[in-house]
Amino acid sequence: MADFMLLGLFNNVTPTADAVDGLRDLGIDDKNITIMSSLPYASKLFGRKTPRSWYLPFVLGGAVAGLLLGLFVAAITPELYPIEVGGQGATPIPPSAIIVFELTALFSMVAAFVAFLLQGRFPILTRQMYDPRITDGYIGLQVRVSGDMLDQAVKVLEASGARSVQREDAAEYRSQGIRHLLFWGGVSTAGLIALLIPLLLTYDVIRLPWINNMKDTPVVDAQEGPRRAVPAGSIPVQGPVLIAGQPATEPIPSSPESLQRGDVLYNINCAMCHGSLGGGDGLMTKYFPEVPALTDDRIQTMAAHDIFLVITNGKNRMPGIAKNLTAGETWDVINFVYSLDE
Amino acid sequence: MLETNAERVPFWEQPLPEDEKLAEQVEHERQEHLMLDALPPSENNALVLARMQQTTRLFWVLVLGLGGITLAFVVTWVIQMQYGIGITGLNRSVMWGPYIANLVYFVGIGHAGTFISAALRMMKLDFRRPIARAAEIVTLFGLATAGLFPFLHVGRLWKIFYMFPIPNQRGLWPNFRSALFWDATAITTYLIGSTMFMFIALLPDLAMARDHTSGLHRRIYRTLAMGWRGTEHEWHNLEVIANILSFVIIPVMFSVHTGVSWNFAMALQPGWHSTIFGPFFIVGALFSGVAAVIIVMIILRKMMGLGYFFREEHFNAMGIFLMLMSMAWVYFYFTEWIVNWYGNLPMEKALQSMLTGDLAPLFYLMLFSNIVVPLGTLWSRRVRTSLPAMLVICIFIQIGMYLERIIIVAGFLSRNELPFNWVNYTPRWPEVVITVGALAFLALMYTVFTRLVPIIPVWEVYEGQAMHTPRRFGRAIFSVRTEQH
Repeated sequence: MADFMLLGLFNNVTPTADAVDGLRDLGIDDKNITIMSSLPYASKLFGRKTPRSWYLPFVLGGAVAGLLLGLFVAAITPELYPIEVGGQGATPIPPSAIIVFELTALFSMVAAFVAFLLQGRFPILTRQMYDPRITDGYIGLQVRVSGDMLDQAVKVLEASGARSVQREDAAEYRSQGIRHLLFWGGVSTAGLIALLIPLLLTYDVIRLPWINNMKDTPVVDAQEGPRRAVPAGSIPVQGPVLIAGQPATEPIPSSPESLQRGDVLYNINCAMCHGSLGGGDGLMTKYFPEVPALTDDRIQTMAAHDIFLVITNGKNRMPGIAKNLTAGETWDVINFVYSLDE
Repeated sequence: MLETNAERVPFWEQPLPEDEKLAEQVEHERQEHLMLDALPPSENNALVLARMQQTTRLFWVLVLGLGGITLAFVVTWVIQMQYGIGITGLNRSVMWGPYIANLVYFVGIGHAGTFISAALRMMKLDFRRPIARAAEIVTLFGLATAGLFPFLHVGRLWKIFYMFPIPNQRGLWPNFRSALFWDATAITTYLIGSTMFMFIALLPDLAMARDHTSGLHRRIYRTLAMGWRGTEHEWHNLEVIANILSFVIIPVMFSVHTGVSWNFAMALQPGWHSTIFGPFFIVGALFSGVAAVIIVMIILRKMMGLGYFFREEHFNAMGIFLMLMSMAWVYFYFTEWIVNWYGNLPMEKALQSMLTGDLAPLFYLMLFSNIVVPLGTLWSRRVRTSLPAMLVICIFIQIGMYLERIIIVAGFLSRNELPFNWVNYTPRWPEVVITVGALAFLALMYTVFTRLVPIIPVWEVYEGQAMHTPRRFGRAIFSVRTEQH
């Protein structure tokens, strides 16, 4: 006689366990009994052994694969394609450790996931005995019995409190064999092909009409703009600022006292070249004929802080004389230089 | 045949005391604790599925509003690609602005999901049960949004493949010693791991949705559930892989925000180059992440009517968690500052310039939001269980943690070692639109997703409820937890 499949629905754990015991007494092997539920009941609640699972080889295999890939990426590719990074060896250990850790973790997780799919034989592509009320809290007990035991098994299920018993010909429920493996094989192949597409773009096998060079984009103009204001505090304020075009220290306004001090300092520091009246005819012009006249329009129209820079830093063959003059004295000299024109 | 909803008694035994007073206590406990308040699964399933399938007018308004902002985000991105990164306020010195701060922020809020579903799972804390899925989806979409920002941040997006490690004739083999590469690897690992973790826990609920829907929905859920029937073998497998993934993903979670922090800490930039940055970022990530999950829980409870699942006890537990994270954050921040302040190295004064400089208002607002607000309020159970109060506190924390990232990225870059490089940074419209748009994108994906999958892991709730019973102890009733294993 043909085999039959029975599906009994129970509304609690104890009656299900009773049914399992009863079926066992009939001589039905535990392998032929499947219990379905909407929440993870431990097998021992039904007096059954915990199912076996074999994750360890997968996870270990994944971990080793990840470890090797990590080592290849972090430790071997830098040897193949050397890039000088100051102070680090071609294969520094700490960064390699990070990459090895991440890839080991990734591959062990993926391997565990693959093991989960394979052990559950997901996706299940053939017909299964099932009742949608199982997710409503009923416990389903599926049992495969030979035809001569059918009536006894139904009796056991009903006696234990099954709320409904469904019976079907076992021939309608075949094992799915390797269908799920074929499915994943197909998915993997499609995935690999999809991964090839970026390579085709990279090697210009497929060309997309897209602006490729920065000079062809409107990018450059958009990035040009007025110079931003210098934030407060970014320029030291104790000493003079020595940047062309930037204001120096607070100028001292021209006054008779300032001009008088400037006159004295001018004669000490400047007159030997520029002449006591600024005519560019000092004693040293014998050796430096290019000394300019300070009464010249070019000098007189210069901004005060630019003259400040010249006095402080020097220019061409003129030495900087910052160490002879304080900032205040420099301003006195500048005031005096402006007065030479009159 | 029996009716699906006919048997209204829960399917597990629940001894009820006959004493009237004790019965009242049992009733009280049921109201307090989800784990004791077992309803027939058919009712819970119907509730969760009804909420999942209902699309009210408010829902469509929300989707349209968020979709509009997301569209503005996309348009801005296209304009930015056309005109270049120069239309943003980024400049030399402040080359990393809100885009990178957003990356840190969105990766950060992704940390709570895994912590809740993996670490609390290993510690067997039952308050995680109804929250886990909602938190995992925050993780998933937080990471997905964060993943956009490196792409938003590069100028010529179509040259991005230069960065991928494909052997090429240009001799541009990427530098695997770069901290950016560690970070990219860690985020990729985390994203893949979290997706797998969420998917396996989703399988039984997809099967539940398959069993109680019809037509196209049923076909979709049938495909996604992959034939899950809930056999002993399947449950056992699920349990083992959940444990494996939990153990692996927790160190990965720590490595992710450590990697993000090393993007900064590995540079010799004052304010960044700090050994405490790794743990400091992790604590900050959990802090902002837990606050984000609480905001999501409040919105879900209000908008989807999930008051049965998200109860006061859950907000209470999350509030305590939030307060602990705030304490840890304060401690780390103070440690970083006091070491700098005591050392008083001239170049590290950048850190101290926050106290008085242009960014001082943001700095003090951050301290207020991250320290004063949570620590000043969350010690009270009444505050922790009040939804409006929790919403305000968590929004403050989001603002505070966002400002913290802005100060670290744009603030410290604008005051680097070389004063001639000092510049100020002001965002222009693209950064504002893209930041707001990214938030809207995250919210949009979340909103749509709540209508696609059961947002409550019902099987985890049933498992918890099956393991809890009220127990009489003297004159009072207590909840007793049973371990299956």
